[in-house]
Amino acid sequence: MSSNRVTVTPERLLVEPIGLNKLWSFTRRLQVPLEHVRGATFDPGMRDEPKGWRGPGLGLPGKLSGTFHADGGKQFWNISGYERTVVITLDPEEKFDRLVITVDDPHQVVDSINGALSTS
Amino acid sequence: MGRPRQFDETVAVGAAAAVFCQRGYASTSIDHLVDTTGVHRGSLYGAFGSKHGMFLRVLDAVDATEASSTERLDVILVGLLELAPTDPRVRERIEGLLEAHAITEEQLGRRLLARAWLQDEKEST
Repeated sequence: MSSNRVTVTPERLLVEPIGLNKLWSFTRRLQVPLEHVRGATFDPGMRDEPKGWRGPGLGLPGKLSGTFHADGGKQFWNISGYERTVVITLDPEEKFDRLVITVDDPHQVVDSINGALSTS
Repeated sequence: MGRPRQFDETVAVGAAAAVFCQRGYASTSIDHLVDTTGVHRGSLYGAFGSKHGMFLRVLDAVDATEASSTERLDVILVGLLELAPTDPRVRERIEGLLEAHAITEEQLGRRLLARAWLQDEKEST
């Protein structure tokens, strides 16, 4: 099951952690104006990436949920396993510089986000 | 704020172009790009935003006069086959490249055949 619901409208990107993920990640929903979204990439290789320090959130092997501080920035992670990981990069105006999330259909999510950026 | 950028973007984009041409867009992973460019994954995301953003930069790079015509044609072919049908940004840039460099359908066709070893490489340039 997916850990996140992703909705793309002509104006904004919406990421909603599903079920208990809301609790672990301390986040009910993230809303980002499309002009602050830089792009989305399917990237299972995030498995080997340093995650930085956690706060607040949950960190177990293969299950990360919450805010992580690495690369001199703040990233939002909500993943269950790495096989369906999508990385969404955001402008510096946003609270997070990157969202790293598990979704049901990574290719569809990536195409819908990058496609929306094309037309925004 | 991230750390200051410590890599040569032109070199990284050139290396990325070679990977995209060799593997195609969909089959190129961020791991491939990290391995080939030698640039840290976080820095790649910081500089280009996404794999898609990196491909757009590759398209810009082959627009430069120093780019070889073979590399330009290969990047265009990858973009045409994999992204242009559904991606207006890529379609628009390729349209610009075709016009700016007066690339003909024949040139594209010849290069496609040459890549598949079905035509003499010399005829494609």
